[in-house]
Amino acid sequence: MIALLPAAIDTRLANVVAEDRLRIPQDLADDLASRSAEGYPHEVCGLLLGRHYGGSWRVEALTQGRNLVEDRREDRFELDPAHYLEADRIAARAGLDIIGVWHTHPDHPAVPSATDRHFAWEGFVYVIVPTRSTGTTATAGEPRAWVFDGRRFSEIEKETT
Amino acid sequence: MSSITIRIPTPLRPLTGGESQPRVEGSTVREALTALESRHEGIRGRVLTPEGELRGFVNVFVGETDIRRLQGLDTALAEGSTLSVLPAVAGGSQARRRRLAALRSEIEEIAPAEVASRLAAGALLVDVREPDEVAQGSPAQAVKIPRGFLEIRIEEFASEPDREILALCAGGTRSLFAADDLRRLGFERVVSVAGGFSAWKKDGLPFEVPRALSPEQRERYGRHLTVPEVGEEGQLRLLDAKVLLVGAGGLGAPAALYLAAAGVGTLGIIDDDVVDRSNLQRQILHADDRVGTPKVESARDHLLALNPTLEVRVWPERLTAANALEIFAGFDVVLDGTDNFATRYLVNDACVRLGIPNVHGSVFRFEGQVSVFWPGRTDGEPGPCYRCLYPEPPPPELAPSCAEAGVLGVLPGVVGLLQAVETLKLLLGIGEPLVGRLLHYDALTAELRRFESSRDPECAWCGEDAETVELNDVAFVCATGS
Repeated sequence: MIALLPAAIDTRLANVVAEDRLRIPQDLADDLASRSAEGYPHEVCGLLLGRHYGGSWRVEALTQGRNLVEDRREDRFELDPAHYLEADRIAARAGLDIIGVWHTHPDHPAVPSATDRHFAWEGFVYVIVPTRSTGTTATAGEPRAWVFDGRRFSEIEKETT
Repeated sequence: MSSITIRIPTPLRPLTGGESQPRVEGSTVREALTALESRHEGIRGRVLTPEGELRGFVNVFVGETDIRRLQGLDTALAEGSTLSVLPAVAGGSQARRRRLAALRSEIEEIAPAEVASRLAAGALLVDVREPDEVAQGSPAQAVKIPRGFLEIRIEEFASEPDREILALCAGGTRSLFAADDLRRLGFERVVSVAGGFSAWKKDGLPFEVPRALSPEQRERYGRHLTVPEVGEEGQLRLLDAKVLLVGAGGLGAPAALYLAAAGVGTLGIIDDDVVDRSNLQRQILHADDRVGTPKVESARDHLLALNPTLEVRVWPERLTAANALEIFAGFDVVLDGTDNFATRYLVNDACVRLGIPNVHGSVFRFEGQVSVFWPGRTDGEPGPCYRCLYPEPPPPELAPSCAEAGVLGVLPGVVGLLQAVETLKLLLGIGEPLVGRLLHYDALTAELRRFESSRDPECAWCGEDAETVELNDVAFVCATGS
């Protein structure tokens, strides 16, 4: 089941001069943080739906998919492809694209790992949320956004709007 | 040949000139992808290997079904089918596994059966699991410090850096991280118990199921739990404790509120008075709409509203020589909040007889004093009783009650709360109680002074020859209560 969270689509964005930057509305950023913290100590993952112009990405909705990894969810994730298929249909109906992937790094910084690079796709934006335990609950740290050029990741600006 | 729509994922659209669902002709998946390649050079190589197999990072679906569950690339396509090319979305930090492997090579691991001999040699066993896990059982010898508090609390139990510390968790993983944390704090000999508590239980080693706070209690008393001198153990002691308040007036009211808030499990209140509007200037346990009702009832309602899990026992009667011993028996501490000498002597006499500490408070206009009278103390130096200091009540004309003398309304608040603090110290067994000392507070000069007070070996009540004295109502009558 996909939890799709619509946000107002800012059509004026097409006129904004593109620069390497990810824009995410505050409510989606909050939602991302709470989903990330709830998932701790496991890695949780999902897709970013939105628009992409040149080097500028704007998140309009996010989904959370099932992590198919059974035995080591604390440091691996694999999104159910059926989830991708469903998200793709929803995105198409809303006039959006799947522009990237978000996932958490429990007890690890928000920097792409070797595994992340191994599976990375050029053209997607990758948002990584660090999570850590705070005793009986968990908290999500500041997410960081990355793009992959086929060889290496580079970080892009992230802006909450 | 069938006409096929291919959904192209965002990352591959640069190869299709931005087209998201081109149409091609083909009767199998392989044919359709080959046809796509002929229109958009380079895309086949992103989906298939040079050998013509599906790449591991790509999923291809026909309609709703993964072709790996059909006939793979040879899956036949019906007219109008939709083929979806889906990037496999995967990744992972790999942090834990790599770090664990490194830690395993650096930190000693021992079998649960070896713990006993290490403890005998002076090691400290620390259970680093969360409270809800420890509640299911833990070795009796283990100190319980959740991993999140390890750095803050370990020195309460081990201050020497060469003390061997054995970390125990549920399965032997968290204990490795915990041991690493301890190593960074400077502990030189850290060990992880392999297999954790699961292995401990499987090996048939003994454990206890400790009492633990409920989640609601954990939330309510959270600020106590983070104080090392209280903690979960201290809070459980408070919940088990029984404190009797003699008088629900100026001193008893603030003390009762804070003791209830602190989670003192059983509060007894004896008072034969009813709420009077003139009480409300200082007796904050009562309220204007309770004027005319018995103070014990007003007190009980207010305390249970603050903390509904308490047990509040009330006696709407006057303390007398006939009922004092029966009422006092079973209480851990008696808090004296009376302002009449007859009752005050009776409180003292009954406490001495039963060996109960008597947390005394009194006020006069701008001054107050607090002490703990406890000749029966066994965990430290015993102190005097009230009669050691004041063998006989003063004549009535020299001892005015509040009604006659007046009192600054907040003053009994200050003194009552000092009594509450002393009570909590006694219950928790922390700090130095005011036994053998008397604290005097002067509000006008803002001075706190402490006086030593010592036992009178000749005391008629607690001295060496006191055994035969009978409890008696003191012949002294105060005009009105506090």
